[in-house]
Amino acid sequence: MNKVLGNKKAIALFVVPALILYAILVLVPVVWSLYYSLYSGSPGLQWEFTGLDNYVKLFHDKNFVNSLIVNVKYVLAVTVGQVGLGLLLALMFKFWLSRCKTIVRTLVFFPVVLPTVAVGQLFAKIYEIQPNYGLLNSLLSAVGLDNLVQAWIGQESTALWALCVMDVWVAMGFYSVIFYGALLDIPDDILEAARIDGAGSFGLFRHILLPLLRPMIITCLVFSFSGTVKMFESSLALTGGGPGSATKSLSMYMYDVSFTYNNVGYGSVVAIVIFLICILGSMLINRFDVKEKY
Amino acid sequence: MKKRIIASMLCVMMTASLLAGCGGGSSDSGAAADESSTAWQDVDYSGEDPQLEKSIKILSIWAEDNDNGILINKICQDYKDNVNPNFDWEYEYVAADDLTQKIATLSSSNDLPDLFAYEAGAPLTTLIDADKVANVSDLVDALDAWDSLSESAVSIMKDLSGTEDLYDLPLGLNVEGFWYNKALFEKAGVEVPTTWDEFDAALEKLDAAGIQPMATGGSDKWLATRLINAYAVRTLGNDVMTKAANGEIPYTDEGLVAAADKLASWADAGYFGEGVTTVDANTAASMLMNGQAAIFYTGSWLTQNLTDPTQNTAGEDGIGFFNIPVYDESISSSTSYSMNCGNILAMDKAKLDEGTAWFMKYFIENMGNVAMEELGTVKGYTYTTSTEDMDPYTQLVLDEIAKSTEGFAWWEAKMNAEVSSIAQENVQPLLNGDMTGQEYMQSIQDAYDMSGN
Repeated sequence: MNKVLGNKKAIALFVVPALILYAILVLVPVVWSLYYSLYSGSPGLQWEFTGLDNYVKLFHDKNFVNSLIVNVKYVLAVTVGQVGLGLLLALMFKFWLSRCKTIVRTLVFFPVVLPTVAVGQLFAKIYEIQPNYGLLNSLLSAVGLDNLVQAWIGQESTALWALCVMDVWVAMGFYSVIFYGALLDIPDDILEAARIDGAGSFGLFRHILLPLLRPMIITCLVFSFSGTVKMFESSLALTGGGPGSATKSLSMYMYDVSFTYNNVGYGSVVAIVIFLICILGSMLINRFDVKEKY
Repeated sequence: MKKRIIASMLCVMMTASLLAGCGGGSSDSGAAADESSTAWQDVDYSGEDPQLEKSIKILSIWAEDNDNGILINKICQDYKDNVNPNFDWEYEYVAADDLTQKIATLSSSNDLPDLFAYEAGAPLTTLIDADKVANVSDLVDALDAWDSLSESAVSIMKDLSGTEDLYDLPLGLNVEGFWYNKALFEKAGVEVPTTWDEFDAALEKLDAAGIQPMATGGSDKWLATRLINAYAVRTLGNDVMTKAANGEIPYTDEGLVAAADKLASWADAGYFGEGVTTVDANTAASMLMNGQAAIFYTGSWLTQNLTDPTQNTAGEDGIGFFNIPVYDESISSSTSYSMNCGNILAMDKAKLDEGTAWFMKYFIENMGNVAMEELGTVKGYTYTTSTEDMDPYTQLVLDEIAKSTEGFAWWEAKMNAEVSSIAQENVQPLLNGDMTGQEYMQSIQDAYDMSGN
C-alpha cells in the first residue's frame, strides 16, 4: 500500500479526475464571477469595463445592507431553531416517548420531503387574514385573543419571523433524526454510570450528552448554516420577499440585480459577498471543533 | 516527438476552425439580413400573395391553447391553408417571467425570433435604441394596412415607446377602471361617483354600512400602484409619469406625494380590510364578485372572470364599471382612460423580409375578426364581426373603449426595471403605514438617481 501511495503518478491518477471536475464546477464559476464583477451591465448588452466601481457601489447601497441584515437575522434564528429543536426532539424520542416514537418520528420528518412551494402555500393559508381568517388567526380569535389577530406575513414586524417559523418547522425533523442516531450510539452504561454518580436530567445533558454529541452538533450547524445562508425559495414562496423588502435575502437581491435589472456585473459582486459569508461562517463554526483537540 | 508536433498542430487547427466557424456564421447572417431588409420595402403588396417559401419562428408567453396563443396559431394555420401553402411556423412558449431575460440573451447573440411577444414601455425602448426591432410603421405603410389597426391602440403604443413611429403590434386593448358590486352599492345607498370627492364620500358610506369599500391585490403590488397612478393622473395630468421619467419633475413632486398619501389614507382608514398586502389579484377579484368588497380597480381582462358563472356569483348584471373619477376636467378629462395593449408583438429587424411581410399583411388584416370570433375580445385591430350576441360584460368593455378619447399608461410604464421594482416593492410598506407618501416617493427618486438617470 505504501508503495502505491509513494508513487506520485498513482496519487495523480486518483486525485486529478476529481480535481478537474471540482475545478470546472466550483473554481471556474467563482473566478468567472470575479471577472464579471469588474464590468457593468449584462454580457452582450451595455457590457462595459468599470474596474472596482461595483465594489464601491456596494458600500452605498441601502438595499444591499437591508438584505444583508435580513439574511443575518434569518440565519441566526433558523439555524438555532432548526438545530436546537432538532436536538430537543431527539432527546424526546430517546427519553420520553417509548411507545409511539416511530409514528412521531415519521410525522416530524414528513415536512422535510414536502416541496418548498407547497409548504409556502400551506403556511400562507395558515397565516391568512383576508378574505377569511387562516388557521392561526381563527385559533387566536376562538380563544378570545382577538387583539393578537394580525396579518402575520403582511407586515414588516412579523413577516420575517413567520418565515423563520416555517423553515424551522420544515427542517427540524431532519436534524432530529441525525441527533437521534447519534444518541443511540452513546452506550447506555455511560448514562447509567452518570445516574449512579447522582447526575440529574440537566447534569446528564450538560456533562455527558452535550460533549458526546458535540461533533454532531457542529456538523448540523454547518449543514443548517449553509442551507439558510442561501435563503431564497422559501421566502419567494411565502412572501415573495415582501412586504416591501422585509424578507428579501442576499440571494434574492442578487437575482433581482442580475436578471431583473440586467446588471450581471453588480450581481456578481453580491454573489461574491455571499461566497465570502459562506466561507467565514463555516470557518467560525469549525473553530469550536478545533478547540476540542487541545 | 513527431507525435507531439502533430497533436499540437491538430489542436491549433481545431481552435482556429472553431473561431472561424463563430466569426463566419455571424457575418453571413448579417449580410443576408442586409440584402433582404432592403428588398421587402420595394415590393408592391397590393396584389395577390406570391406564395413564397417561408418559415418563421414565433416566441410567445401564451401556450398554444390559451388566449393569444390560440389566435396566433389560428392565423398561421389559416394563412397556410388558405393563402400560402409554402408557409411554415415554429411556435415557442416561454414563461412570462423569463421573457425579458430570454429576449436579452437572444438579442445579444443576434438571434431574435421573427416575431416575439414583449413588454411595452421601457423594455421595448431598450430594443428600439439598440436598433434590434423592425419599424412597424414602415411595414404597415408598405402593406397599406393602417385601416386594420385600432387608432387608440396605435397612439397608446407610440406613446409608451416615446417614438414617432410604431415599433410593435398590439395583442390586446385593455381599459382600466373601477369595477363595483351593484348590490353592495344599492345596499349602502351609494351612487356611482364621478369626482374624487364623491368617491371618498362613497367609500365612507360603504364603510359605515359595514361593507368593505375596496379590495386590491396588495401582494401582487402592481394593482396598488395603479391606484396611486389613478389619482396622480387626474390631479396632475395624463403625462405626469412621462414627465417624471424624463426628469422634468421629480418623483418627490408635491402632487405625486399627495397621490401616494391618498392610497395610504385609504389603507389607514381600513377601507381595504385587514392585511391588504397578503391579498393577491385573484382573491381581490373574487371578493368583488362574492360581495365581500364593493370596489376593485383592475383592467378589462376581468371580463374573463366575470363571464364565468362559476366564479361570478353576482350574475350577468351584478358588476358595473366606472372610469377613474375626475378632479378637474381641464387637467384630465372624464373620457381619458388608463389603457394599454397588454404584452405586445415585436419583430426582429434583421429577419424581416418579403415572405414575413406578406404573412404580416394577412396577420394584421385578420387579427381583429379572428380575436372577436374565437375569444370575443378586442386586440387592438378593427373587426367586422357582428357584436350583437355578445355577453354583457364584453359589450360593456367595448362601449367604454368606444367612449375613450385619450389614453394614459400605468404607474411603472416609463420606469426602468430597477425603479419599477422599487416602486412596486415599497407600495407594501406604504399600505401598511410603515412608510409615508413622502418616503415612498423619495425611495423611487433614489432608485431613479442610482440607476444612472
